[in-house]
Amino acid sequence: MISINQKIPIKSEHYQILKKLQKINKPTEARILSEKLKIPYEKLMSGAIFSLHQVGLANFKEKETEIMSLTPEGKKYLNSGLPERQIFNLLIKDNRKEVKLLDFSKEVEKELNFPKKIFFVGISKMKKNRWVVSSKAMGYEQIFVSNESPEKTDEEKFLELFKENNSLPSSKIPKKLLDASNSLYKRKLLVKEKKMLRIIELTSEGKEISKENINLIEEEIKLISSEMLKDGTWKEKLSKLKSYKVDALGPNINAGKYHPLTIIINEVREVFHSMGFEEIKGPIVEEAFYNFDCLYQPQDHPAREMQDTFYLKNPSEGKLPKKKVVDMIKNTHENGGNSGSTGWGYKWSEDIAKKILLRTHTPATTIRRLSHITKNTKLPMKVFCVDRVFRNESEDRTHLAQFMQIDGIVIGKNLTLSDLIGQLVEFYKRMGFEKVVTRPGFFPYTEPSMEVAVYSKKLGAWLEMGGSGIFRPEVTYAWGIRDPVRVLAWGLGLERLALLKLQRNDIRDLYQSPIQWLREVPY
Amino acid sequence: MPSLTLKIERLEKLVGKELNIDDLQYDLQWIGLDVDDINEQEKEIKIEYNPNRPDYSSPEGIARSLKGYYNLELGLPKFQVNEGTERINVSPKVRKIRPFVVGGIIRDIDLDEDQVGTLMNIQEALHWALGRDRKKVAIGIHDYDQVKGPYIYTTVKPEGVKFRPLHMEAFEMTPKEILEEHEMGIRYAHLIKDAEEYPIIYDAEGKVVSLPPIINGVYTTVTDKTKNLLLDLTGTDFNAVNYSLNIIATTFADMGAKLETLNVVYDDKTDEILKVPNLSARKMQVHIDFINSYIGLKLTANDIIKYLRKVRLEASTTKNKNILNVKIPAYRVDFMHEVDIVEEVAIGYGYQNLTPVVKEGGFGKYHPAEVFANLSRDIMIGAGCLEMVNSTLSSQKDYEKLGLKFDEKEKIILSNPVSEQFNTTRENLLVGLMKNLAFNRSAEKPFKLFEVGDILLLDRKKDNRARRELHLASITLSEHADYSEIKSLLDHYFRTLGILDDIDIKPILHPTFIKGRTGEIYYRKKKIGLIGEIYPQVIINFGLSYPVAAFEINLMPFFKDHEE
Repeated sequence: MISINQKIPIKSEHYQILKKLQKINKPTEARILSEKLKIPYEKLMSGAIFSLHQVGLANFKEKETEIMSLTPEGKKYLNSGLPERQIFNLLIKDNRKEVKLLDFSKEVEKELNFPKKIFFVGISKMKKNRWVVSSKAMGYEQIFVSNESPEKTDEEKFLELFKENNSLPSSKIPKKLLDASNSLYKRKLLVKEKKMLRIIELTSEGKEISKENINLIEEEIKLISSEMLKDGTWKEKLSKLKSYKVDALGPNINAGKYHPLTIIINEVREVFHSMGFEEIKGPIVEEAFYNFDCLYQPQDHPAREMQDTFYLKNPSEGKLPKKKVVDMIKNTHENGGNSGSTGWGYKWSEDIAKKILLRTHTPATTIRRLSHITKNTKLPMKVFCVDRVFRNESEDRTHLAQFMQIDGIVIGKNLTLSDLIGQLVEFYKRMGFEKVVTRPGFFPYTEPSMEVAVYSKKLGAWLEMGGSGIFRPEVTYAWGIRDPVRVLAWGLGLERLALLKLQRNDIRDLYQSPIQWLREVPY
Repeated sequence: MPSLTLKIERLEKLVGKELNIDDLQYDLQWIGLDVDDINEQEKEIKIEYNPNRPDYSSPEGIARSLKGYYNLELGLPKFQVNEGTERINVSPKVRKIRPFVVGGIIRDIDLDEDQVGTLMNIQEALHWALGRDRKKVAIGIHDYDQVKGPYIYTTVKPEGVKFRPLHMEAFEMTPKEILEEHEMGIRYAHLIKDAEEYPIIYDAEGKVVSLPPIINGVYTTVTDKTKNLLLDLTGTDFNAVNYSLNIIATTFADMGAKLETLNVVYDDKTDEILKVPNLSARKMQVHIDFINSYIGLKLTANDIIKYLRKVRLEASTTKNKNILNVKIPAYRVDFMHEVDIVEEVAIGYGYQNLTPVVKEGGFGKYHPAEVFANLSRDIMIGAGCLEMVNSTLSSQKDYEKLGLKFDEKEKIILSNPVSEQFNTTRENLLVGLMKNLAFNRSAEKPFKLFEVGDILLLDRKKDNRARRELHLASITLSEHADYSEIKSLLDHYFRTLGILDDIDIKPILHPTFIKGRTGEIYYRKKKIGLIGEIYPQVIINFGLSYPVAAFEINLMPFFKDHEE
């Protein structure tokens, strides 16, 4: 209990509410109060009532109550009358005493626009209320008026309760109308909802307290308005400006942002550009000729089979380049051509080379650059390709049917395996990996071939990072690139790098990304 | 990559050196092996080897390389092959279907369980790596004492003989029945079933030894009592069958068995007998300056000989100071060119011992498409749009969800995708963005997304019958997403590029968009895209329940593209 002699601190806005409650001077339901005082319910309860309750001036009791309100259909009948009343009024029009049910149903549909279902509900209500009786004596159903001026039914009386109120607690319904309410509920004209009612009442102190016993607290303001700045009132308001919890998180904003893959791809691009490389692009829909044959993959190589490669049904066959080039490739496969190799020693087929597929690796594009090299081309030439490649695989956490591959080549005179290792060390250093190790590997189109691993400080482990090598003479001679001009090449997948960087473990997230992740992911 | 599990104890016996599992893990990489898994308790190490080294399909093969790496044994491994008298006659009838056969006799075998496992592993590895799943090479291993030479390799009509095949010993079957009913017959039927006659090997008494490349007869089943073996390798590529024989024969030799030649006589030409296995080394010449200029070293002839001996090759000097004669062991299949020797020298020298050389120079050059793509991204991000990256692969279903007709003749169609998720490629970015909305339907709204990326279209004029187009698309979803919102984004994009005055929008009807709220976008009278509010049924097709608006434009007119 609070001594009346003590001044009680109350915010001035809450004092206004206290005064109104004193005036009402009886227990009042919170929602009704909120309507009366025109204060939003939440603000009233969590602000004023809660504060007044805390200083012992107000109390509230909670009570679960059933609230009734009309459905949209019920509201319609509140104005126009229940269907049975409307139908009855139509029936007795022009002092009519009897109708044929079938004809009448059509009339009702036309005049009142009631569907059959409502019509029969109306008729059965009229019979039940003994406004009409029916007979099938003539072989068809007839309706006869039995009460020409029926009184209001309970259902009608009940409906009228809602003329004044949108909703009513069950406790306010007169007992004799309860049956009618159930009937309307069944007719889906009425809904019942359980609601928590909060009855607000002032304590005896609350009823008696007057301004002298209250210490009014001025309200806080949330911001300095443009008005205040113009009229100078900011000077007195500044002290009332609400302080913020400065370390709280601000609300979310949905900002525009790069996809993290773009960021990583652009980083790779910058590394290549900074090392003097030119970016090139090539067809995604590619001919087997460039994808495999130019890279000295024999035509019966398992990697060329359907289960690994997306061949196309449409378009299925492409056009090969000039005969001179095709013959070079053919000879290289069959007997080594002019490359000094034995070749694979099988019969090369033009039809297999013409097949169209989705590029399985980016060397399909870098190899195309070799066709542009002439005697006059300035060497060394450094080009790279970062683009999409495809494998015929089912997708899961670690596999994609489509992914990004990165490929770099250097075409130049007297290039060596030591130069290649130098390029790799420099490339991966710029990519953020200090330690690089190369070891024997195998690719059909390079010799010597090397596998590349880099040391990740983040994981404290070596990561396989792709392959590299010097293009075989069988690959370069067909394009007139002869020793001592050689082509250094290396390639790697991007997604592995991306998952590592983004600390993600489902590779599918990269191409079907959860938006919430994109909004939050740091670059 | 093919793999193999090595037992340390067995490897130690073969190498003749105590091996520490940690050291081994480090050492194996320098002879071209990847360590996949280590089982400390069982003292096993699982390795992967490259497909050009099928000789690594046995611990015996790996031990040969390791002995060189550890300097325990250098130069060519030695194998003894005794002259044999056994003979196989080859009928000209096999020429059309499976022309080549080689083989050999293996005497005094005494194999333990591990070694039997190794043989099965080699057989499988060779069937795959060199045999292309038995097409080019099929290997038969038989109990030599159960049959009698000389043998004949010929052909037989599909119903021309009956015999009991391995794994279905209870039944006398014709080759035709085997192809239709036997597990192996069904699996490999495609290799011979279209021929009029099938390849077959009989012994002197007419017993069926083998129906290559399908199955052996039951007489020659190898058991734990088998002492001597007959090998047959048939195929369509002589080098492939011969290399496969060499790999198996050298492994048997390393297991302690005695090798004996088989005399192969083609077409009754008894003066041209082929004696196999022939394990003599292959010869190649290599230039010292070529090796040095390739690796970036200054090795002498002696250095190179030393490093080649380390990787189990042999080399010797010639009159020409720049040329070496190199001998390559019979089990190595990967030598086609001098550069293959270069790699061996580099491995012998050790990749880990090479000094990186950094040559600077060159002018970096951006690709115009990427420059324009990044500019477009910057503009859209500045307008508050979140970038998406979607797959190029797409499906007919997705097109139909957009209300578009899908005519296979006008689309890029994949032949046999393993996943039903995709059977075509995207020809617009909108489909991916709609899927993004569907995938993220429960995330906090509003959504303002965009993508810049390549789409693919048929193009009969090009050699590859298709072309790439760089597109930009943007999509909005919220309670209030509508035409005017998406139009503001489009206007902002063109205004920032400074070409708003060159753009015209004309109203059109389109099944993906709502009538009266759809426009075709023109740049200097050239149609470049579409903008509109998405048709409600399309929204529902993607499982969404908010209004959606979008635009998509082709960016190709805005930069000078270059494709290799």
